[in-house]
Amino acid sequence: MGAYIVRRLLQSIIVIIGVTLVSFLALQAGGDPTYLFVSERASTEEIEATRRALGFDRPLHEQYLGFVGDLTRGDFGQSLSYRQPAMEIVLDALPATIELTLFAMILALILAIPLGVLAAINRGTAWDGSITTMSMVGQSIPSFWMGIMMILFFGLYIRLFPISGNVPFLKPLLAGDFGVAFSNLPRTLYHLVLPGIAVGTYSLARNTRLVRSSLLEVLEQDYVRTARSKGIAELRVLVHHALRNAWLPVVTIIGLEFGFLLGGVVVVETVFSYPGIGRLLFAAINQRDIPLVQAGVILLASIFIVLNLLVDLVYVRLDPRVKLDGGRG
Amino acid sequence: MSEVRGDVAVLENPKGSGPQSELRRAARVMVAARWPVFAVIFLTVAAIAATLGSWLAPFDPNRQNLVLRLADPMTAGPDGGVFLLGSDALGRDVFSRLLYGARVSLTVGFAAITVGGTIGIVAGLLSGYFGGWLDDLIMRLGDIQLAFPFILLAIMFLVVLGSGVWNLILVLGVGQWVTYARIVRADTLSLREKEFVEAARAMGDSTLSIIFRTILPNILAPLTVIASFNVASVILSEAALSFLGLGVPPDVPTWGSMLAESRDTLVANKWWLAVFPGVAIMLTVLSFNILGDWLRDFLDPRLRERT
Amino acid sequence: MKRHTAPIRALATCVLGMSLLTGCAEQSDDTIVVGLSADITTFEPGMISSRDNANIARHIFGALFTLGPDGEHIPELAHTLEISDDGTAYVYTLNQGLTCHDGEALTAEDVAYTFNRIADPANRFTGNTPGFVFSSIGFESAEPLDDLRVQINIAQKNPIAFGLMTEVYVYCKDAYERMSLDEAASNPIGSGAYRLASWTRGSEVVLEKVREPGNFERIVWRIIPEASTRTAELIAGNVDIIANVVPEQVETINESGRASVQVVSGTRRMYVGYNLSAEHAAMPGGDAIQDPDVRRALQYAVDVPTICRQLLSVECERATGLVNPQNANPNLTPYPYDPELAGRLLDEAGWPRGDDGTRFFIRMQAGQGRYVNDVNVVLAIVQYLEDVGLDIELELMEWASVYTPLLRERSMGPLFFLGTGGGLWSPIYDMTDIARVSSGTNYTHWSDSRWFDRWPDMVNTDDLDEQRVIIDEMLEVFYDDGPWLHLYFQPDFYGVSDRIDWTARRDEHVEIFEASLR
Repeated sequence: MGAYIVRRLLQSIIVIIGVTLVSFLALQAGGDPTYLFVSERASTEEIEATRRALGFDRPLHEQYLGFVGDLTRGDFGQSLSYRQPAMEIVLDALPATIELTLFAMILALILAIPLGVLAAINRGTAWDGSITTMSMVGQSIPSFWMGIMMILFFGLYIRLFPISGNVPFLKPLLAGDFGVAFSNLPRTLYHLVLPGIAVGTYSLARNTRLVRSSLLEVLEQDYVRTARSKGIAELRVLVHHALRNAWLPVVTIIGLEFGFLLGGVVVVETVFSYPGIGRLLFAAINQRDIPLVQAGVILLASIFIVLNLLVDLVYVRLDPRVKLDGGRG
Repeated sequence: MSEVRGDVAVLENPKGSGPQSELRRAARVMVAARWPVFAVIFLTVAAIAATLGSWLAPFDPNRQNLVLRLADPMTAGPDGGVFLLGSDALGRDVFSRLLYGARVSLTVGFAAITVGGTIGIVAGLLSGYFGGWLDDLIMRLGDIQLAFPFILLAIMFLVVLGSGVWNLILVLGVGQWVTYARIVRADTLSLREKEFVEAARAMGDSTLSIIFRTILPNILAPLTVIASFNVASVILSEAALSFLGLGVPPDVPTWGSMLAESRDTLVANKWWLAVFPGVAIMLTVLSFNILGDWLRDFLDPRLRERT
Repeated sequence: MKRHTAPIRALATCVLGMSLLTGCAEQSDDTIVVGLSADITTFEPGMISSRDNANIARHIFGALFTLGPDGEHIPELAHTLEISDDGTAYVYTLNQGLTCHDGEALTAEDVAYTFNRIADPANRFTGNTPGFVFSSIGFESAEPLDDLRVQINIAQKNPIAFGLMTEVYVYCKDAYERMSLDEAASNPIGSGAYRLASWTRGSEVVLEKVREPGNFERIVWRIIPEASTRTAELIAGNVDIIANVVPEQVETINESGRASVQVVSGTRRMYVGYNLSAEHAAMPGGDAIQDPDVRRALQYAVDVPTICRQLLSVECERATGLVNPQNANPNLTPYPYDPELAGRLLDEAGWPRGDDGTRFFIRMQAGQGRYVNDVNVVLAIVQYLEDVGLDIELELMEWASVYTPLLRERSMGPLFFLGTGGGLWSPIYDMTDIARVSSGTNYTHWSDSRWFDRWPDMVNTDDLDEQRVIIDEMLEVFYDDGPWLHLYFQPDFYGVSDRIDWTARRDEHVEIFEASLR
């Protein structure tokens, strides 16, 4: 097990290096970024001076090596638009996105399990039919379209939920300000409802079907059929047992889910004007704020990688039949 | 003739086997399941819209009529035509744009899958068959790519390469290969040691021939399932990217960009600009999902029989 | 959305106990909420370059003089300005007893420090002040003459320097010497009416009042990039003032019963530029536009009033040049829409329609998302030009990272769409874009000697009547053979809640000092 962890960590580091290289190259390949950081009417001398000041006149490999060297010292550079440490700005925007993603994930899980169970147990009936249909539809709706429709509906027609902005909970919590955090919590949740639904619908739909199909698979197996023939009380006990085995695939999904949801938040945060990392990164990419993009991308990738690692380890613990190095084909 | 295994009787297919009877069986099962029929019908309609759009469209999708902008559905248009689904912010016919949009969305969807699928299948085959450092390299590249939320990667590349249909296809396609590669690799690994492959090797077939003529045909079936779901997700991704302004140029209508254009006028209650393209996307994606689902169920017992 | 049910629904919502959570409790009498469309990046005066950023900072910092809504020169921190005879020394006399927010006294020494610090190359500031203001006036140095008098030295005589200097925000030496550049960016210490209470990046900025003028204790600036959401928040009563209202939403806001739209005729000059550089002359169509007769023909091809009416929801008068109407040449009348005349003039200029119906091919470039309804306006213009026989390849680009670099290099074109900010206080300010052939803002590389040779005459004369004659002659040349296809002055749309009494300015400055409750 220890060797496995070490190997996975090494893998992860290689992946992270690849991530920094790719994001660096991607943004440099578009041409001279100097022009973004001078005022609309700057003179040629100003532009030259700025180019030198921001280091864009050095050769590419020098710029990249300089960057990696700084990273190992924990220095992610200064955001070119905010003129402040890039990682600070990214970490500042992260709690809002985590709130959103967690909310969506919890929503997706909490509702998916009972819905999936309901559908599986009542297989073939109208219950199953409608839940399955709604799940399929839920997986087919573009999240931003849903967001726009919700803004219209809840913003103009029925003013029930807030349609923009967020009230911080995680940030004061992490800063030790429990009083502020918990007094904010109701409003935080309120602001999360609409964007959370937009982000989480796809996952909710998919998880529901996953729970349903996993449960169905388990219910088909011999030991369950035997129990069924023995009587209903036994069946109840076995549904519990079946569930325990059925949510194993769901556990795998959870780690990937977070990463997947993180990707989906970009569009939703834009539509809802939600001040999270998705919107920040989108703007940063458009403005060629290279340090900010790299800080953000590396952070997100790292979170994703760590989550995957944790999920792999949990998976192994839960199901010792899985080989340690053949884990995911 | 029938076999008896345990307490279940397995009947050999009385109509024989082969692709023709496969299709007939598919049709039978599909009709019984009902929903996939609707999916196929809708996709056929969409395909017709895509191919014959230029003849079916009542107006030039890019012809502006500033004076008739934001017209309600069923308003009379210029030259005696009717804006069946209304007109947009520049007075262009929504229905015509919807038809042309089908062409772009579906083309981008299939092209991206082709690109991604080709790369993925080749990578998976090589990875699974040769193993070793090649396998490591390919899988690591896949890990790196998957470490990014796809949409951020897509945004970065489109901002740099510039938007445009081909760039979009490239980006979307490259984003898909890993899924194919992994499945193909796993299947290749398990098939590599099988008897018929050993036999081919013993007969002196070249490596390439073994890979592409012997192994490949046997792993294609599950890929159709993946492909179906993938088209759905590519169409959603294209919509999202167009929505963010990174898709095709403005004189090319796509459903995603029509949704993006509708943002500013929604508050003014011009609902038709957002509802129709949104519904179009949803139905198309839904159809592919239903199809994929059904394909998976259809192919599953066959797979179980074979292995 | 019918008016008579909205208040009932709102009340019901409140009664359901949602008052804890959102919506109805947002409005309070001592707070005003402004909705912005773009993020703020800094409060360092030397780095500020966006209008939104400057608008907020304006409330935190004071300036020596300021410009009023109609272009009047108004004293603020200083009460007198003396300009030397050779025009290179500007001496401002400050008011007595000025202080910064931290209590430090604000004297001439601090003003000089402000100017010199912003101009200091070691600080690498890239904002509007060092980049545009100081370059345009040819700033050299600033020094205190005594406690209350400070002298600003510029390179040569400049009739609009006094106006440009109103854009310099003043702060105190001790406070800023203590702070690092990073700290200064998020901890502004100024001498204005408000101080920065909190800043949540990407979300909101909260200002608190510390002295007059101002009718509200708090100003909250909320960042809501999505246009529909901004409007929805205005109608819902969560926001009091929004800028950049999309024209299509004007009716909805006006019918909501909670807010109304103020349309002001802005000062930003919108135009299609002809890039006349040698490099562009070699491109397809580039040769055609070198001929002033072709350019003049195309003036008749675009129906500007219809564009204004349909896409901008305003009745506009087409521009006759680059100077705002109140200072423009009164003898010039706008080109009318006459596509047949355009066609004939193009024929006469030697560009008849070919067998495929087109006269010549040309590329047009534009950024998107920067101006009011810009994409639709550009698409409409392309259609008009194509209708008179041009074959146009349109490239719409992302504004900040793709189009702006082209602007900096003056390499967009041969046709391009652009809007440059103007002013009301002097025609020369509007003309300064094309002060020299090599000016960074002479995007068209225009080099007509009838304009540029007269520039020094215009700038150096002290006789205002003579100056006006020269200006009119130059503007006539611009009208006849200039490098712009004249369009319109961009209207600005502000949504204002009915509970607020506030009048929007024409120069895109948003100032809350005068706003009050009805």
